Amino acid sequence: MTDLMPAAGELGPPGAQAWRMFFRNRAAVFGLVMLIVIIVMTVLGPLLYTQDPSDIIARPLQGPGSEDVPRLGTDYLGRDVLAGVINGGSASLTVALVAVLLIVVIGVTIGALAGFYGGWIDNALMRFTELFQVLPALLFAMVIVALFEPTSMTVAAAIGLAAWPQTARLTRAEFLRLKNLEFVKAARAIGASDFRIIWRVIFPNALPPLIVAITLVMGAAILFEAGLAFLGLGDPNTVSWGQMIGLNRRDFLNAWWTVTFPGLAIFATVLSFSLIGDGLQDAFNPKLRGR
Amino acid sequence: MEPLLSVRDLTVTFGSFTAVEGVSFDLHPGSMLAVVGESGSGKSVTALSIMRLVDLGTRGRIESGEILFRTPDGVVDLVAEPEERMRAIRGNQISMIFQEPLTSLNPVYPVGDQVAEAVILHQGLSRREAAARVLEMFRLVRIPEPDKRMSQYPHEMSGGMRQRVMIAMALSCDPKVLIADEPTTALDVTIQAQILGLMRELREETGAAVLIITHDMGVVAEVADEVVVMNRAKVVEQGSVFELFDAPREDYTRALLASVPRLGSMAGKAKPAPFDLVEYNR
Repeated sequence: MTDLMPAAGELGPPGAQAWRMFFRNRAAVFGLVMLIVIIVMTVLGPLLYTQDPSDIIARPLQGPGSEDVPRLGTDYLGRDVLAGVINGGSASLTVALVAVLLIVVIGVTIGALAGFYGGWIDNALMRFTELFQVLPALLFAMVIVALFEPTSMTVAAAIGLAAWPQTARLTRAEFLRLKNLEFVKAARAIGASDFRIIWRVIFPNALPPLIVAITLVMGAAILFEAGLAFLGLGDPNTVSWGQMIGLNRRDFLNAWWTVTFPGLAIFATVLSFSLIGDGLQDAFNPKLRGR
Repeated sequence: MEPLLSVRDLTVTFGSFTAVEGVSFDLHPGSMLAVVGESGSGKSVTALSIMRLVDLGTRGRIESGEILFRTPDGVVDLVAEPEERMRAIRGNQISMIFQEPLTSLNPVYPVGDQVAEAVILHQGLSRREAAARVLEMFRLVRIPEPDKRMSQYPHEMSGGMRQRVMIAMALSCDPKVLIADEPTTALDVTIQAQILGLMRELREETGAAVLIITHDMGVVAEVADEVVVMNRAKVVEQGSVFELFDAPREDYTRALLASVPRLGSMAGKAKPAPFDLVEYNR
């Protein structure tokens, strides 16, 4: 510790420090604000702008600001693009959220058990993980969606099943690092059970890198969902951003607005998660700052 | 007097390497036994074997021998106890203090909560009762402003304070045996003296038998009643601290005693002189 660093006692619990550093990072705060705006738009938008995105409201492919469609124009069927952008977010975000929950539950459990117990348990679990890792994620997810009915939940499950191995590996690495530290030995020496040591002693210490990874995975899951929807593998009964781009792709040279606005929405959402993830990374790992 | 803890012919291996070979000693109620020896002599492994924690993340295995522990329900062999029974003994009847107070506490929880953990686990106290017990323990180990300290995180405390917290944690369930694995090695000399003094006082106040592991002959002379000298996995010599310091029987013990520098022994010399490698063969 040099004089440049504040003394150990002055900073408060490690979590509080990280938050302070996060809010000092302009890009990260911008990402957070952008995400909040997107979420508010998704939740409140349909209440304020009540146009049904499936209704045909005008002639097809009218540009933004045309006389009869004053907003963001119409798509190839004459549906309102603005209504699509507003309503498409909830499908994307819900699918991504459920997928990430699945990724976290599977990935963290398998990674924690493998890292903590080691030996043959580690071997078995890691070979199982590799089995999923060597499958091309997009193809694997496409197969799952194609086999079952393409509802939001199957899409989420497909993304979750295709993307958990990285989280498992990260969790395992953290557990390998932490399990031999003195405080784990000390917890054992007061008679704590394995379950307690894994979840109450080691897991909270593994959280910072996991939170960062999960934030970035959230962005990736949104992209993944958009990709599947673009390929026509999303739920056909709900509007989503990827689906809008996919359906309008034949007309995008002469009607740029049909794909640009949903594309911008995806871009903004993924960017906001990336900025937040980077900000958290810097906050939890001060050594990386200034790079 | 009946020993409280009796290690009989203990052998511990790590793969093909034998870390402890045929070690035997007795620990009597209320006494303080020091296990001394250089790095790698097997003293820490002996201590971890008593807690049955040698298999932790390594390939350590208790090969043979018994560790007899006298409990109110009769004598049990800790080598053969099922893991679940061991968990009830650890931290409750036998507890342990580690070498590194800086890393022995979990950085994400306040220290008070960590001490409370042990009493909640073993004595089924409620959170509130446990907090009262923690306060009592912090007073016992002479932590100033104990009520304030309880809610602090480990990084807000000094090394000596953290070691006091560790001792409070170890003593919180009134153990019969306290194992201290180099409790003062990571601390500076004045804090060492404080911690050793504290341990001596606490032994008198709580009546716990203490097994202290150290490589520091100064520490041995300061606190121990009995001494076990170990080298290369074996016991070289054991006896009362007076016998050992007055009339060491083995060359190795003599060499170990001679390795402690005396104040003024460097007078008139320009720089530290290299000394011969001590080879000990039985």
